[in-house]
Amino acid sequence: MPESTPRRSIWARVTGQSPFVVTVFALVLGLVFGAIVIITTTAPVLDAWRGFFHSWGAPGHALKVTADNVGAAYRIMFTGSVFSPATLWHAITTGQGWSNALTPISETLTYATPLTIASIGVGIAFQAGIFNIGANGQAMMGGIAGAYVGTLIHLPMALHLPVTMLAGIAGGVLAGSVPGLLKAYTGAHEVIVTLMFNYVVSAILLYTLLSTALQAPGQQNDIARTLDPSAQLAPLFGVSSGLRVNYGLVIAVLVVLFAWWFLERSSLGFDFRVTGANPQAARASGINAKAVIILVFAISGGLAGLAGVTELAGFYKTLDGGFLVGNAGIGFTAITVSLLGRNRPVGIVWASLLFAALGVGGRAMQAATGIPLDLATVIQSAVVLFVATPVLVKEIFRLRTSPTTALQLATKGWGS
Amino acid sequence: MSLDVTNETATTARIPVGRTRGIGVIMLAIGLFTALVFGVGSGFSAHSSLTFNPVSLTNAPWRIGTLTLLTAWTNVVLGLAIVAMGAHVALRLPRRGVMARFGVVAVLFFFALLLWAARTTGPSQINFVNLTAVLIGSSALAMVLVFGSLSGVMCERAGVVNIAIEGQFIGGAFVGSMVASTTHDFFFAAIVGALVGGLVGLVLAFLSLRYLSDQIIVGVVLVTMLGSLSSYLNLQVLTPFPQYNTGNLAPNLPIPLLSKLPVLGPVFFDQTGFFYLMIVLVALVSFGLFKTRWGLRVRAVGEHPQAAASVGIKVVGVRYANVIMGGAIAGVGGVAFMASQGQFQPGYTSGLGYIALAALIFGRWRPSGAVVASVLFGLSVYLADNLQTYQVPMPTEILGMFPYVITIAVVSGLIGRVRPPAADGLPYRRD
Repeated sequence: MPESTPRRSIWARVTGQSPFVVTVFALVLGLVFGAIVIITTTAPVLDAWRGFFHSWGAPGHALKVTADNVGAAYRIMFTGSVFSPATLWHAITTGQGWSNALTPISETLTYATPLTIASIGVGIAFQAGIFNIGANGQAMMGGIAGAYVGTLIHLPMALHLPVTMLAGIAGGVLAGSVPGLLKAYTGAHEVIVTLMFNYVVSAILLYTLLSTALQAPGQQNDIARTLDPSAQLAPLFGVSSGLRVNYGLVIAVLVVLFAWWFLERSSLGFDFRVTGANPQAARASGINAKAVIILVFAISGGLAGLAGVTELAGFYKTLDGGFLVGNAGIGFTAITVSLLGRNRPVGIVWASLLFAALGVGGRAMQAATGIPLDLATVIQSAVVLFVATPVLVKEIFRLRTSPTTALQLATKGWGS
Repeated sequence: MSLDVTNETATTARIPVGRTRGIGVIMLAIGLFTALVFGVGSGFSAHSSLTFNPVSLTNAPWRIGTLTLLTAWTNVVLGLAIVAMGAHVALRLPRRGVMARFGVVAVLFFFALLLWAARTTGPSQINFVNLTAVLIGSSALAMVLVFGSLSGVMCERAGVVNIAIEGQFIGGAFVGSMVASTTHDFFFAAIVGALVGGLVGLVLAFLSLRYLSDQIIVGVVLVTMLGSLSSYLNLQVLTPFPQYNTGNLAPNLPIPLLSKLPVLGPVFFDQTGFFYLMIVLVALVSFGLFKTRWGLRVRAVGEHPQAAASVGIKVVGVRYANVIMGGAIAGVGGVAFMASQGQFQPGYTSGLGYIALAALIFGRWRPSGAVVASVLFGLSVYLADNLQTYQVPMPTEILGMFPYVITIAVVSGLIGRVRPPAADGLPYRRD
């Protein structure tokens, strides 16, 4: 129902309904939070503040040191993940060094490629009211299956690459189906089951790397054979360009298009969304709840598996014990990306570019300033906390509150 | 919707016949597996030796000799005992105590696994298992899990899902290590840990009660945040200043006389202060929830907040209080974990907080049940981590899956349908 207030400021009109505005403000709050973390933990900044009352110049000095440190961190995050104006200008004026100038954005796209695919998988599950927190394990399983096919079978590329990708999808479907079947038939809550399954798949990864034919010959460590060149995703601009962005990007674009069609145009996608919005209504209208749960997990897991094999074939080329572990765990980042993108394909693309940039920029920041990369994850989770509580963001920035955004439930208790 | 908040036992869910039979069949299968693989499969000449003397002999005026068993026959007997219990459940379909029986089966199974792992073929006795050490080691893990699942009991009985237990563990362990390193005072460390855990609980309560955000999403994101924040701070603070993260093993406080009991003494009465605190907390929470006015109110809020509000209970207030208290308990659990490991390492809680949640479900949202479940899970986590030292002829990675697979089995209700508090995880609006 439109508000009938006659005079609204432009500010109010701009910021009125759009969830995009909340997202932007959440990002601002997240960066502020990150800045506070930097300020309170970086030794030179703390030293400067400790001398705050020691001399007349000290307060100014403290503020300057703070601004320098935080500014440097965020500036390098930007130049390390998007572009650096200096190198870009150099490339434009001299026509040389384009590779150098485009490396940051290429790195971001490389990182965003599997992240987008995995996030789409998580987002489709969210739209059906299911919290698939096991995307990382499913992606890992996709990587394992892809590694088997990509290293132990030898085929011409036209056949090898698709088969490797399909193996990755199959691995993800397999890992996703277990929680799906358990939820459909026993009512087990998917959050705990998928979480535990992540640990199970980690153990499977180590087992396959240490005790099966996958292990590189003559190796004692947890490292696999390298994928055949025919199973690798080639760099998009050729090896000579030095840019790592690869044909996985094409796969990601196709996945986004598929997801948009699936959710907006297909009847199964409609069933998914109805189930997510109102399970009672879905049941009353004859939608088979069990089938939906199983299919959601199959599709979501399959996409996560595809993300894993894309990461392997496009980036790592060799499976090892660190695959998708810790900061590389794209399956966990995918949850936050999907929430930030409001579980919609287009939103997810932007969110995943943003989080990829934060991750890549965080690495550059760590190299240049010594501030740990984990700051990127801290910022990401802060942003998502704010996005999950739009009312709080609106209160902080005095935005108009629309009652519809107040209550948003994606998951419902322990189910059963 | 049933509303038997006054009589807890009356609401215990009846387990359907088919499910009970299924549980019985699973127990039968476990029994057969034990008898055949761990029993017959280990060969009839194999021996397993058990020792009982504690590693630190200060409180052990006693010495117990080594018990040597014929592995195959012992495990066949254990397996048949499990088979008998399974057959009883599958055929007679008892209405109560199915879960407890499953717990017994699990313990027998672990015991058989232990004997099998420690077996030596031939007469020599090089390989042996120190049962007392196994019990002490798993009691440390079980203690942490009890803290976690007590936290879950506090929150979920009031209707809020606290999935951030893992994060509260991490936060508690981090500050606990810093405080214990600088002050060498574990009491103080526990208090600071409780404050941090309570703070995480406050954030969870604030976002999910005031702003009605999804509790599970907020909880998971809080875990991500605390995980990355602790790893950030570890690199930024603890690595350059290692004096803030020194070895902080909590001292044992032996109880006079009782600590000198054989086997039981070192396991129950020669523990750290955290262990005794846990026992006190279990008793307190158990008594408080089921025997006091306060507990009745909390359970009313968790079962039917509208009804509770209509008799004048401040639903949101009760939830705030419980989530903060629950967070504080989990924070202390994090300090206790740190104190049993010696220092803080990022990521070393490896899902214990989630296993604690599963223990809570297995224990049917009751403190006593949570204790039994935590003992079971503690044993399985400990065995998975430590069986490799016994050179088990089984890839250690497969053993590492154990606790997680058992957790999945538990939440899948393989061992009986469980009923959470009716309003668990649902937002409440005053209007």
